[in-house]
Amino acid sequence: MQFLHGTNIDFLGKRKTLIYFSLVLNALGIILPLVLGLKFGIDFTGGTEVGVELSGKANATAEIREIVEKGGVFGIEIKSFGRDNQYLIRVPADAYGAGVDVRKTVEERLQQSMSAETVKILMVNNIGAKVGSELRTAALIAVVLAILAIMLYIAFRFEFTFGIGAAVAIIHDVLVTLAFVTILSKLGILNLEMNTAMIAAFLTVIGFSVNDTVIIFDRVRENLEKHKAMNLIQLMNLSINETLSRTVNTVMTVVLVLLTMTLFGGEGLEGFAFTMLIGIVTGTYSSIYIASAFVIWYIQNVQKKDIEGEYESQKSRLAKA
Amino acid sequence: MKQTWSRYLIIFAPLVIAGILLWPTFRSYQLGKEKAAAEASKDTVRINNFMRDNGESYRNAKNSSVKLGLDLQGGMYVMLEVDIVKLIEESALRESVDETFAEVIAKTKSETESSDDNVLEAFLRNFKAIAEPKGRSLISYFDIGDSKEISDASIIDKLKRDIDDAVNQAMEVMRQRVDKFGVSEVSIQKQGARRIVLELPGVSNEKEMRDLLSGTARLEFKLVRNNQDIVKALYAADKALAPKNVAEAIKDTAKTDTTVVAKSDSTKSDSTKTDSTKADSTAKAQAAADTTNPYAKLPKDQQAKAYMADHKVSTLLQVLFKNGNQYIDAATQGGFFMTGNIPDGDYLFFTTRSGFDKLMQLLSTDRLKGVMPADLQLVRSAKPEISTEKSMDPTYQVYCVKREAELTGDAITDAIPTFDPMDNRPVVSMQMDVDGAERWAAVTGANIKKQIAIILDDQVYSAPVVQSKIPNGSSQISGMADAKEANLLSVILKAGALKAPVKIIEERVVGPSLGEDNIQSGINASLFAVLLVIAFMVLYYRTGGMIANLAVIINVILIIAGLAALSGTLTLPGIGGIILTIGMAVDANILIFERIREELRRGRGMRSAIDEGFSKALSAIVDSNITTALTGIILYFLGTGPIQGFALTLLLGIATTMFTAIIVSRAMMELTMPENGNYNFGQPKDINA
Repeated sequence: MQFLHGTNIDFLGKRKTLIYFSLVLNALGIILPLVLGLKFGIDFTGGTEVGVELSGKANATAEIREIVEKGGVFGIEIKSFGRDNQYLIRVPADAYGAGVDVRKTVEERLQQSMSAETVKILMVNNIGAKVGSELRTAALIAVVLAILAIMLYIAFRFEFTFGIGAAVAIIHDVLVTLAFVTILSKLGILNLEMNTAMIAAFLTVIGFSVNDTVIIFDRVRENLEKHKAMNLIQLMNLSINETLSRTVNTVMTVVLVLLTMTLFGGEGLEGFAFTMLIGIVTGTYSSIYIASAFVIWYIQNVQKKDIEGEYESQKSRLAKA
Repeated sequence: MKQTWSRYLIIFAPLVIAGILLWPTFRSYQLGKEKAAAEASKDTVRINNFMRDNGESYRNAKNSSVKLGLDLQGGMYVMLEVDIVKLIEESALRESVDETFAEVIAKTKSETESSDDNVLEAFLRNFKAIAEPKGRSLISYFDIGDSKEISDASIIDKLKRDIDDAVNQAMEVMRQRVDKFGVSEVSIQKQGARRIVLELPGVSNEKEMRDLLSGTARLEFKLVRNNQDIVKALYAADKALAPKNVAEAIKDTAKTDTTVVAKSDSTKSDSTKTDSTKADSTAKAQAAADTTNPYAKLPKDQQAKAYMADHKVSTLLQVLFKNGNQYIDAATQGGFFMTGNIPDGDYLFFTTRSGFDKLMQLLSTDRLKGVMPADLQLVRSAKPEISTEKSMDPTYQVYCVKREAELTGDAITDAIPTFDPMDNRPVVSMQMDVDGAERWAAVTGANIKKQIAIILDDQVYSAPVVQSKIPNGSSQISGMADAKEANLLSVILKAGALKAPVKIIEERVVGPSLGEDNIQSGINASLFAVLLVIAFMVLYYRTGGMIANLAVIINVILIIAGLAALSGTLTLPGIGGIILTIGMAVDANILIFERIREELRRGRGMRSAIDEGFSKALSAIVDSNITTALTGIILYFLGTGPIQGFALTLLLGIATTMFTAIIVSRAMMELTMPENGNYNFGQPKDINA
């Protein structure tokens, strides 16, 4: 079987249009979370989550709300989770006053109002506001450190310009994924709130995105040895084409895995898997278009080597011949 | 021939090692099943036989098997924080504490509440900023016992030592509490400077655990002083809060919103223990007081309401005075607070939970500071005094006790849950050491017919009247709801008191059934994903794909064996990590196979194409795995709990992927290479022709 081989697609020819396209997406990745607001899980906000199973009581959200609010706990959010008689009752830390033991109130109120056998506490998460803000800081540090570490490694293994190119591609992927996550979580399609698992997803996206970039850069490195005289734009196009079938096959298998996890992984895994799905597709796109295009832009505009002009004149010469 | 052997070695040696590492896991699974079956049969002989024959090996196997995270097997994760601010506050000399010091403490508290900053540093910084300009030094507040050596540096040194001690001691106490309570396989770790993380697998009653872990367990025996002094203090507090003159007060009360009064009335009426006969005896007392009652002009039923409306402190407490054999309500029937004529005698106090909190808060305000006699304090009973309707604010008895404890829990050597032979209520009977027993004999001897409160963490469990001198150092606590609670309390008492209070700042509980659901959906999704990948690889790369699949399966076995070797924990995100690793491993093989096909296309022979494929793909595989490992390392060090599990499997997976995808699959390929050198990578036929 063979999907793609011997392709000769001029990937980098469209780079200028696509850079603008990506810039727009990136701007959205910054603006949307600020305007629409990111939905933080209680890992980051602090608060209490009580998961209950009420035997024989499906779709009792309104009833639960009434019972719990009568106990003096307000600002609660109730959603079903897992089966249709399992509910997640969530109270963010800023929604209740000091001194109210939310978890206890919720548990006791429910057990009093329904018979004790009906109510089964499945899980409780109770996170102090302090721990929440610490986890948030740790998550941010993790993402920034990861990007820095990767940039340094690639700059060391390849060239300085490639290191920045990879870092730009990573930032691009994080922002685009953030834009999608914000929109989809606003639409309420999937459980996509920012929690520690989501940060793990983002970090894995970073890992995979750079994985793709590294494989293309690795081919560029090899081809630089082989074709010493070739123009960099042409050489990058060649490298992308040569690694294309690997890229497609790998992305396909990973997408297969992630789609399975999104569809069947249950409440715990779906948000994680879906975020990675978006991130990996974006990561593939950015390793082809953004990372290499940035290296070209950098050499052309910062290092002031006219590789673009050289490439154009080469192309026109070829056309004449 | 020699080469063939070394190839078999490459493939099978890791599998043998993995088998050895995973044997305990398999064994403990098997024995666990047998044990569960024995227990299910409820046949004690069978259970005992099992434990005799296999108990030891089951424990050993369990210790070195792959552990499941709390999210997979159910259990409780608790993060405790030692309250260092409180420790510093309490190590200051009580008599020298003033507003400046309180300000420093308050600032330190608010600063450290939102961060994991070093508390002592924050305290010293605030002390410098707030107290030093006012001419105070640490010496003004702290005493280290040795007056010659005292200096700021020696005080800081001592505080530092005390803080370290308190955290380490708290960890030890927690370990003893869970051990004695019988929770197995607990992990207790110190995190940062003042936090303790406990992981309690299989714990299902998290309420009980919370009670077990969060108490300070400071046991004190204090003399009860429910006398005239405290009522006078309440009277003084009332006066301080209601400076209005009487005429105005009466005018105001006429306008008082009745709903407000009704509210305070209803909470009180629950607690009033009055029976109908009481009314007669109290009527007389009231009549006597009426002459000086400023509310005399009001109708009788409004007098009490009027009084409550402009009195703040005493209305929070229900004050009962023992008048002969009856208790009368001091506020409404005795008229004590209207006249200030407070008789000597026995009093009883009741209040609601919120009333008590409000009272304590009011008494600590600057306006009311000094109203309470310095040697007395108010404490409430641990359990509601009267069983009220569950939704109501329950009523507690309030005791006025001497601040100085007669005896503390340090003297306790043993605590046993038992039942009171008189009324069969659950109690904890305690035994004291020699010094404690001596002291206890002296205290009880000197206070016959008086009440002594047994106080645990500032809540009164019982306040018995001393009948006779107790010479043998025995005492008991009652007031527990059931035998279970008595057992819990005895465990806490035996483990000893904490030097500084702790509070639960993070808590995660996963019920066992949710754990099973998680495993099920996680495993199902993983299996399905792996099957899809396997199918794709075989379809696309044929024999090569089959080799890759075998390598991936070996890879997964090695990861799990690695977890067992590192005594790591398998969590739900950890399963995610394994799936990602499969993706990475497959990617490595795809890179190699694509490269081989490419070399074949360029006209190389099969053997040299394979050589080239492996060697040229190597740098890409290594570089991409190292970059992923970098994020894994960062996650491992910054993450907590489940995320760390994810990072650990990812890192292990990267190591095993490099090994299996490059070395093992190569060895398998060499071994399965047909004589004619025609290996099937799914490449189009024409390439090889």
